[in-house]
Amino acid sequence: MIEMQNLWYAYPSGQTVLAGLNISIKRGEFVALIGQNGAGKTTFLKQLNGLLKPTSGVVKIAGMDTSRVKTAKLAQKVGFLFQNPDHQIFLPSVRQEIAFGPKNLGLPDEEVEARILQAAEAVGLTAVLDENPVFLSKGQRQRVAFASLLSMRPEILVLDEPTTGQDYRESIEIMEMVRELNEAGHTIIFVTHDMELVARYARRIILLRQGRVVVDGPVREVFYRPELLTATGLLPPQIVRLALMFGENSPLGRVLSVEEAYEAIVGWGGVAHDRCG
Amino acid sequence: MTGVAEYVHRESPIHALHPITKLIWSLSVVTMSFMFTDLMGQALLFLSVLLVAGLGRVLRETLPAFKALFLMAGLFTVFRVFFIQEGQTLLTLLPGTGLGRITDVGLRSSIELSCRMVVMAASFPVLLATTAVKDLVVTLVEKLRVPYIYAFMFVTSLRFIPTFLREMDQIAMAQRSRGYTGEGRNPFRKVVALAPLAVPLLISSVRKAQRMAISMETRGFASGTRSQLHRTRFAGRDSSFLLIVGVMFVAVIFIKTKGI
Ligand SMILES: Nc1ncnc2c1ncn2[C@@H]1O[C@H](COP(=O)(O)OP(=O)(O)O)[C@@H](O)[C@H]1O
Ligand SMILES: [Mg+2]
Repeated sequence: MIEMQNLWYAYPSGQTVLAGLNISIKRGEFVALIGQNGAGKTTFLKQLNGLLKPTSGVVKIAGMDTSRVKTAKLAQKVGFLFQNPDHQIFLPSVRQEIAFGPKNLGLPDEEVEARILQAAEAVGLTAVLDENPVFLSKGQRQRVAFASLLSMRPEILVLDEPTTGQDYRESIEIMEMVRELNEAGHTIIFVTHDMELVARYARRIILLRQGRVVVDGPVREVFYRPELLTATGLLPPQIVRLALMFGENSPLGRVLSVEEAYEAIVGWGGVAHDRCG
Repeated sequence: MTGVAEYVHRESPIHALHPITKLIWSLSVVTMSFMFTDLMGQALLFLSVLLVAGLGRVLRETLPAFKALFLMAGLFTVFRVFFIQEGQTLLTLLPGTGLGRITDVGLRSSIELSCRMVVMAASFPVLLATTAVKDLVVTLVEKLRVPYIYAFMFVTSLRFIPTFLREMDQIAMAQRSRGYTGEGRNPFRKVVALAPLAVPLLISSVRKAQRMAISMETRGFASGTRSQLHRTRFAGRDSSFLLIVGVMFVAVIFIKTKGI
């Protein structure tokens, strides 16, 4: 689905931000891209729909070389949610805003209408379809931006800090929507600073540091190598840190969530009980 | 990242001069370049500007600005030279047709005009590279009695230009990711096609301005009379520098009236 071969990128100012990335992402993956501010995460994401073209190396999306294809064309495959929804909202109603993308794709009116309703439903905006997005709350505006991507039905969803500025419940709601999309077959790549969300939703972590991949692997493996995270100023989720204190061979093992820890403890308790009995 | 004509923080005799001194110098250079008609004079004047840039240790930083000036002047010469048809023909681009005729008078006057353009503009990159904008503003307020609020507005708008450009970039990217191409054949469509860029820029600018107004008010902007922490003063070196400029000026006038 996504292939990066020896990708280098430098901004016109001369600063090299991505330094030799080789990454392959398959259909249906759920990837968390993490790293400190300035590590190059946003720059990485912008390579995925041709907003930035490689200085050298190749990026291929569903077989298309991004340096040969226009972003407007790649937009059918890759939906990009920006950090700030206000960079895109410009129409006087939520309905029109959501319709903008599908209309650019040249879809017939009935199809556009169907997609508006479905996208609004998916993000819980049905009630405010005819309101002016400028007067909605920041969290709602973020959803408008999200719905306006969903209505284009891209196979790949790229989300740059989708939960920043949202409260806990809103974050979970957004991530639950993303999870459903992933289960429906969409490939997800998201950036976040919230390791609890990573543990809960992602299946693969790519950790960037100064434009290089520090580690790329399953969430469980990466979180249980905390030295890699701490080197870039990040901490694994609390439950992982707790499990790490007890060591690899404790009954907690390599749990990723409180639920797993509970299961592990109950299970162990059962064994211990048996032993006593 | 340093842009063209940005302040370069450095220790130098030119940096140490009073902003007004440098302003006077800049205006003098402009005036003198008006008075000279011959190339030699312009060249000397340009050298003097380079000398000041050298003394200010900003030659390397101002070089791109000079290059751009020369490029513009070069283009200007090329365009203008075909519009003056008096004098003897030096060269015809399309022989036999009389099209693209370059004459000696045309060439001479075009080059002279371009050189004057370069020299007139040349002092400004040096002025801006050796004078912090805030010092210029303090001077405007203190010495030239410009109301502070206007001076502040001027500086703030300068400071927002790069912010707007970055914002514009982000907006264009966000719309392109939604399949926006900015295309439109007829003029009306073209204007409509700008809305996805213009409206978010407007809205986010208004939001930004509101936030800024609040943050200024909470920190007591315009709540009373102002005083300046750093006052600028004229010093001996300002007098010396102005004396040199004055002598140059008088010399130029002298040469012009005597017709040497
Ligand atoms: N438009 C730009 N021009 C020049 N440099 C930039 C630009 N955008 C980002 N950078 C630089 O690239 C580096 C990585 O930025 P970014 O990809 O936004 O990091 P992240 O999203 O991980 O915080 C930073 O050092 C930043 O200063
Ligand atoms: Mg970022």
